[in-house]
Amino acid sequence: MRVFRNVFLLLLALRCGAAAETIRLVEGVFKVEGIPKDRSLQDWRSTFAVYASSATIAMLGTYEFASGVLQFHPRFPLAPGVRYRAVFHIPGTAPIEAFFDGPPQPVESTTRVEQIFPSAAVLPVNILKLYVVFSAPMSRGQEWNHIHLLDQKGKPVDSALLEIDQELWDPQMRRITVLFDPGRIKRDLAPNLKMGLPLIEGRQYSVVVDRGFIDARGAPLANEFRKTFHAGPVDREPLAPAQWRIVAPQSGTRIGLRLELPKPLDYALLRRTIVVHGPAGAAPGDQIAGAISIANDETEWSFVPSLPWKRGSYRLSIDNTLEDVAGNRPGRAFDRNEGDRERSPKGSILVPFEIR
Amino acid sequence: MSRPQLRFLLTGLTLAISILGVLAFATNSDGLALGKVELRSAGALAFGPSGVLFVGDSAQASIFAIDTEDTKQASSSESVDIKGLNDQIAALAGTSAEQIRINDVKVNPASHNIYVSASRGLGPDATPLLVRVGTNGKIELLQMDHVRFAKVALPNAPEAKAGQSNPRMDTITQIAYVKGNLLVAGLSNEEFSSNLRTIPFPFPKADGNRGASVEIFHGSHKRYETNSPIRTFVPYAIGSQDYIVAAYTCTPLVKIPVSELKPGNHVKGSTIAELGFGNRPLDMLTYSKDGHDFLLMANNRRGLMKLSMEHLDAYEPITTPVPETAGVPYQTLKELTGVQHLTRFDGSSALILASIDKSLELKTIPLP
Repeated sequence: MRVFRNVFLLLLALRCGAAAETIRLVEGVFKVEGIPKDRSLQDWRSTFAVYASSATIAMLGTYEFASGVLQFHPRFPLAPGVRYRAVFHIPGTAPIEAFFDGPPQPVESTTRVEQIFPSAAVLPVNILKLYVVFSAPMSRGQEWNHIHLLDQKGKPVDSALLEIDQELWDPQMRRITVLFDPGRIKRDLAPNLKMGLPLIEGRQYSVVVDRGFIDARGAPLANEFRKTFHAGPVDREPLAPAQWRIVAPQSGTRIGLRLELPKPLDYALLRRTIVVHGPAGAAPGDQIAGAISIANDETEWSFVPSLPWKRGSYRLSIDNTLEDVAGNRPGRAFDRNEGDRERSPKGSILVPFEIR
Repeated sequence: MSRPQLRFLLTGLTLAISILGVLAFATNSDGLALGKVELRSAGALAFGPSGVLFVGDSAQASIFAIDTEDTKQASSSESVDIKGLNDQIAALAGTSAEQIRINDVKVNPASHNIYVSASRGLGPDATPLLVRVGTNGKIELLQMDHVRFAKVALPNAPEAKAGQSNPRMDTITQIAYVKGNLLVAGLSNEEFSSNLRTIPFPFPKADGNRGASVEIFHGSHKRYETNSPIRTFVPYAIGSQDYIVAAYTCTPLVKIPVSELKPGNHVKGSTIAELGFGNRPLDMLTYSKDGHDFLLMANNRRGLMKLSMEHLDAYEPITTPVPETAGVPYQTLKELTGVQHLTRFDGSSALILASIDKSLELKTIPLP
């Protein structure tokens, strides 16, 4: 009888020992402490599991057991705003359960829309795209809920924008490209014939980015952003770089070379499709390093060289992918007449200028 | 030769043969080699030969070919109905379902296991995930640390200039493997133009031979043409000729012979159907039933559309403007709504990923 009582007391002691086990979360690692060092546990995953929110499938991760501490290293960092449930359960004993919160979710709204391009107050009725630039990285999956095109009465313009799943962000997710439905812009397609161009000439429109657009931290925008513009005449004029006015600075200076454009061009493409070469006689591949800036509602492109200008013949090299705000390119309208194909330039267009 | 010398020689020979064997396994004729796959994003998917899964990584402007070692033929025809796919992936990845984005779904044609590309997180630092869903419903993340793979950079990919980030990005919208070539469609966030690339597989070794980038135009009734991006396409054979049936951003459905996808060609798709206003094709598949060929298309507005492909080779392209839907006759299957992805499951079923009450459901449907 005494033997039985001793065994019972021993079992009770062991169980009390188990009850001393505690679960802690230390720097993203879940730890069960107080496990008897000689305890041999084979299947960690069935003994100790961590669940996100109300999930019934355990999180993925790796286990480590040393000096009476069982550690679970989650495969992915803990997510803000998620509650985690850790369960340590040796079969035949009562499970130990503990709850932990992931990192706090930011509540302060600090991200803003910095600008919407094109900047001009009058845009052609066949405008092809907009760029919305944010002050910080944003989140996916919200474009079509939080970017609105409104008419002058504040009503959404039906089916003007091309709602596609592939959100056209830049790699840092600070700039998103919004396309107008090309089916309505391109002449003779069913949507164009049935509904016409997305905008009506002479009317006022607003692009509104509402506060609900969530940034990459999970916080909404600091304020709503609104760009108002008027719809101007249709633009199907190809670009003619040879006719652009070039204002060339004096040699020996680092004053900017200025290119005056007859109409607003695509902000993003202006930044990368025009380069400066020269002076004549320099080594081949003589592209000059310098800084580009764009001003006056994208009708002015200027270039400040890293080194002073030298006297001589230079040239601008303009890639044929440069577009205006309606998608017209050098020598080629957005929807060109098929017969115009031969007149479209291939590669880059070279425009010479002199530095004196 | 003494016996110990002979034994030494034999041991050496055995060892050499073993090493050669391992090397041959590590880099096979498919050009895949053992290593760690480092994806920065996981988007469009396609299956190639022998369980090779192609993964479009837009963030790296690259395509990965990964050996899934999943080549066992499915024993019988199964059906799939998995609810809460986003919840289940979120559970494994330790986050909330709202933080999981499903980017593409494809079925291994041999095993019928389902492969899903997704991301954990919604911002620029989101983690790419590749998930395998068994027909029994078992969900697991693909192991990427030690697999046979190859990577190829896209031809004509946006280049980052030294010291500054390049805001240009080419999103890979669709990939497909057609007889030794991978066809890759992309959509730029800057210039409005097509970029359909053909990349041979096994991937070429030399950087200068990464495949061709072909400009695709869309002609509107023999009057206007636009250098127009393709959003989604499906390979299709008509007689002995391989085509792609493609949907442009401007909605018409066109067919383009694969043989024309060569650099320098002025490739123009001929319109076979205008699908009506405001309709945005998401995914397409072709199939045969009772001796007839059909194309099944998932749309954003009109449920599933079934198009007859009969006599597509003899079909006259639309050359006069049409105010409403025209071209290949079709019917709409309105009862299936919320379909986000559509792909072939087996000879008689398609697999859809549909959004039902904020929950994503993977299920097979009989080909209509």
